[in-house]
Amino acid sequence: MRRTYLGEFEELVLLMIAILDGQAYGVTVSQEIERHAGRVVTFGAVHNTLIRLEEKGFVSSELGGATTERGGRRKRLFRVTALGNRALADIQQMRDKLWQLMPDNTLRTSTL
Amino acid sequence: MNTPQPPQWAKTLLRWLHPQNTIEEVEGDLDELYTYWYARSGRSRAILRYLLNVMSVIPPFVRKRKSKTSYDQPFFLNPDMLKNYFKIAWRNIVRQKAYSVLNIAGLSIGMACSILILLWVQNELSYDRFHKHADQIVRLTCNAGDFRAAVSPAGMARGLQTQLPQIEAGTRLSKPVTMLLEVGEKKLEEKRVFFADSNFLQVFSFPVLRGNAATALQDPGALLVTEEMAEKYFGTQDVLGKTIRVNNKENFTVAGVLANTPSNSHLQFDFIIPMKTLAKTDWDLKTDTWGNFNFYTYFRLDDQAAASIPARQKLAKRIVDIHKKHVKALNVGFQLQPLTDIHLHSDLQIDLPGHGNIQYVNIFFVVAIFILMVACINFMNLATARSERRAKEVGLRKVVGAGRYQLVFQFLGESLIFSFLSLFIAICIVYLMLPIFTMLTEKTLAIHLLDGKILMSLVGIAVLTGLISGSYPALFLSGFAPVKVLKGKMRVAGGNLIFRNALVVTQFVVAIVLLVGTTVVYRQLDFIKKRNLGFDKSNLLYMPMTGEIWGKQQALKTALAQNPFTEHFSIISDLPTALISGTIEVFWDGQTSPNQVVFPNLNVDENFVDVFKTKVLAGRGFTSTFTGDSSNYMINEKAMQIMGLNLGNAVGKNLTFGDEKGTIIGVVKDFHFKSLQYAMEPLILRLNKWGGVVMVRTEPDNNEETILALEKINRQLNPAYPFTFGFLDKDLDNLYRTEQQMGGIFNLFAGLAIFISCLGLYGLSAFMAEQRTKEIGVRKVLGATVTGVVTLLSRDFLKLILIAIVLAAPIAWYAMTRWLQSFAYQTNFEWWVIALAGMLATAIALLTISFQTIKAALMNPVKSLRSE
Repeated sequence: MRRTYLGEFEELVLLMIAILDGQAYGVTVSQEIERHAGRVVTFGAVHNTLIRLEEKGFVSSELGGATTERGGRRKRLFRVTALGNRALADIQQMRDKLWQLMPDNTLRTSTL
Repeated sequence: MNTPQPPQWAKTLLRWLHPQNTIEEVEGDLDELYTYWYARSGRSRAILRYLLNVMSVIPPFVRKRKSKTSYDQPFFLNPDMLKNYFKIAWRNIVRQKAYSVLNIAGLSIGMACSILILLWVQNELSYDRFHKHADQIVRLTCNAGDFRAAVSPAGMARGLQTQLPQIEAGTRLSKPVTMLLEVGEKKLEEKRVFFADSNFLQVFSFPVLRGNAATALQDPGALLVTEEMAEKYFGTQDVLGKTIRVNNKENFTVAGVLANTPSNSHLQFDFIIPMKTLAKTDWDLKTDTWGNFNFYTYFRLDDQAAASIPARQKLAKRIVDIHKKHVKALNVGFQLQPLTDIHLHSDLQIDLPGHGNIQYVNIFFVVAIFILMVACINFMNLATARSERRAKEVGLRKVVGAGRYQLVFQFLGESLIFSFLSLFIAICIVYLMLPIFTMLTEKTLAIHLLDGKILMSLVGIAVLTGLISGSYPALFLSGFAPVKVLKGKMRVAGGNLIFRNALVVTQFVVAIVLLVGTTVVYRQLDFIKKRNLGFDKSNLLYMPMTGEIWGKQQALKTALAQNPFTEHFSIISDLPTALISGTIEVFWDGQTSPNQVVFPNLNVDENFVDVFKTKVLAGRGFTSTFTGDSSNYMINEKAMQIMGLNLGNAVGKNLTFGDEKGTIIGVVKDFHFKSLQYAMEPLILRLNKWGGVVMVRTEPDNNEETILALEKINRQLNPAYPFTFGFLDKDLDNLYRTEQQMGGIFNLFAGLAIFISCLGLYGLSAFMAEQRTKEIGVRKVLGATVTGVVTLLSRDFLKLILIAIVLAAPIAWYAMTRWLQSFAYQTNFEWWVIALAGMLATAIALLTISFQTIKAALMNPVKSLRSE
C-alpha cells in the first residue's frame, strides 16, 4: 500500500479528532489544540488541515448539529476513518521502536 | 440579543470571498469562536482575533473543498480512449472525403510552400558560417562620402597588423581575374581566378583535399585548383605537381586541390594563385600602397574586438586615424564588415558578384508564415463550419461523462492527425518541387530528412500547424451545452459566424496583398527593362580584348573597319554595366572646396557617340581630326551639375583628372553605366588609348554574320586565344537577375496562397449551400429565379471580400512603396493596381463559390423539401 505521510500539524489535528470522538469540528479542534498543546493557531490553518486530511482519506465528515449560538448554521463534524486510525497507530509504533533503539546515555544527556 | 456579534462588514467580506461550499460551517464556527474569545478576553481582543481568523480563511490562504463526484472519469490518455479517438477521427476523414481532401490539400500545399521558403531562407542565412572562425573574420571596406566600396589598399593588411594587436591575422584577395588556362588539348578561359595571400587557407576554412594547406600558397608559380576544375582539365583528382599553362606564356604547378567552393560562400573561386606571383608585376603590391583601392582585405580579430559592434567600430575608427597619418591627401572612411554579414547586408560597389538581400529574406519569411496562416485558417473555418455535424457527438460524449479537457484533447489530436498527414504529403511535394524551385532560385537546395535539426523543425511545423488550426474548433466544439445540442436546437452562434468571417477576411487580405505585390514587382522589373538608359542597348555586340590583340590595336581597327558587318564599332575601356573605377582626385576651374564625390571614368574612342547613340548636349565628341584630344575630356550632365557649370559655360573649362590636365570639350547626356539601383553618378570620358572591349553595333538580322566576322578577326590576330563575345542587353538584364528571381518566386507563392484560400472558400460555400438547402427549396417554390438564388448566396461572401480589399489596400500600399524605395529609379505605385488585384480576387472568389451556388440554385426543390 502506498503510504501517505502525515505532517506534524496534521498529526496533531488527527489526534484531536480521535480524542474528541465524534464531537470534532472546527471550533472544538482549535480549542483543544490551544488547551493541550498550548499553541494559538488561526482558524484557517485548522480548516485547511481538516480538508486536507479528508482528501487523504484519514477522516470523514458530515454536516449536522445546528445550534442557536451559531445562528442556526450546521457544523461539519469529523470522524477518524479506519485508514486514519491505522496511520496514527503506525506512527505510534514507529516512535516506540525508535525510542527503544536509542542508547541510554543519549536519553540522559538530552534530559539534562 | 444576548450573544455578542462580530462586525457586520467582516462577515460580509467573509461571505463574499470564502468558497461557496464551506461558507456555512466556517461562518458558524467563527461565530462560535468569537463568542468564546469575547467571554475570555473582552470585546476588542475578540474583534482583533476574529478579523485575523477571517483573513486566514479567504483566498489565497484558504483551501478549497473539492466537491465529490460520484463516478470516476477515465484518464484522458487511457489507451481505450485513445483508440476511440483514432477510430472516430478516421471515420470522420473517410466519411467526408471531399472535406478531408480539401483540408489536407490546403494544409499540405501550405506546408510545402513554407518548407521550400524556409529551406531557401536557411540557405541564405547560412552563408559563410562554415568557416571555423566565421565570427571573428571581418572585411575591411571603405567609403568616400556616399560611395561605399568593398575594396581596400594593398599595403593596409600588413601595415595595420603590425600596429593593431587586436588583428590576429590579415589576408588579401585580388579582384577576380580572367585567365586563359591550357592543359594538353584543353584550352579555356576561366573567370573565377583569384590571387590570395599565403595565409588565405589559415584564415578561411576551405577544405584542402590534396596538398599542404600551410605551404600551398607560399611559392610563386604554384596554383590551387578545385576538385571540379581538376576533373575538368585533367580528368582525375590526382593532379599534384602537374602543370597548367597560363595565358600562353607561363607554366604553373598545381600545389593543392581544394574542395569545390560551398554554394553558401560569398567567395566563389575555381583557382587560387599565390599573391607572390602577382607581386612580381603589380605596382600596388610592389609599393605596398595605402592610396590605391584594389584588393579585398580580410582580418581575423581577437575574440574581444570581434565580439560587439561598438568594439568593431572603435577599431575601425583607429584604422581611419592610422590611414590618415599615412595618406594625408585622401579623406576616406573605413569600416569592418563581419564576414557573416557580407552576403545579406552588403550593398557595396566594386564587390564580388552574387549577393543576397536581407530584405528578400525577411519578405519571404513573412510570406511563408502568411501561407501557413492561410492554410490554418482554412482548416479552422471548415472545422467550425461543420461543427453542427459533430455537435451531437459532443453532446453525447458530455452526457456519458466526458470532461471539457477530454474533448479539447480529442479535437486537438484530430487536427494533429490532419497536420501530420499533411506533413507527409508536403514532404513528397517538396521532393517533387525541389528541381523546379532550384531552377527558379539558381541555388542547390536539398532537404536532408535524416538531419535531426531539419526533422525537428518539420515536426515543429506540423505540431504548430495542428495546434493552431485545431485550437479554435477544439475550444468551440467542447463548449457546447449538451442539453441544447441533443435537443437539436443548435444553431450556429453569432459569435462563431463573426469569427469565421474575420478569418475569411484575413485570408483575402493576405491574398490581395500578395497579388498587389506581384503586380508591383513585375511593373518595376518591366520599368527597369524598358527604361531609356541614355543609349541604345539593343544589338550591341561586344568582344573583350584578350591576349595578343592588346598589341595589335591598329590592325584590329583596320580589320573591323573593312568588314561591313563590323564597321560600326567603338573600343571602350569597360562595359557600361557595372563600372568599377573612380577617383575623387578631380579638380576643375572655379572649384571652391576639395572634391568629395567619386567620379567614375570611362575611356571611349571617336566612334563612341555614334555607336552607342548617345547625345552630345554641348560642345563636341572626340574626333580623330583634333590631335590634342588625348588630353581632353567629356563629362556627363551630372558631373557638370556637381562642378556647378551649365551647358553654356562648361565647354572650354580646364579639368584635372588624377594627374592629367585637360579641357572639357563636350557634355554628354546622362546615360546609365551602373545598375539602376544606384542613382546617376558623375562620369568623365577620356579618349581611349589602351583598349578594353570592342563594341559593335549590328543590324537585328545579321547578328550571326557579325559574330562570325568577329571570330574570324580574332582567329587572325589572336590565334592562341579562344573567341568570346556577348550581347550588352543580355548583360544588362543579368544585373537584375536577383530581382527577376524574386519576382518569379513571389509570383509562384502568391498564386499558391490564392489557390489555398480558394480551396477553403470552396469548402465553406459548399457548406453554406448545404445548410440553406431548405431555404432555397422554399424560395424556389415561391418563385425565386436561379440568378436570384445565386446572388443571395454570393452576397455574403462578396461583402467579406470588399472588406478585405479595404483592409488590404493600405497594407499593400505601405509595403510596396517601402520596397520601391530601394530602387533609385522606380515606377509609381498606381491605385489601379490595388483595384485590379481586388477585382481579380473578387472574380476568383466568385468563380470558386459559383460551383456550389449554381448547383444549389439548380437543385429541384422537390428533392430538398421532400423530407419535411
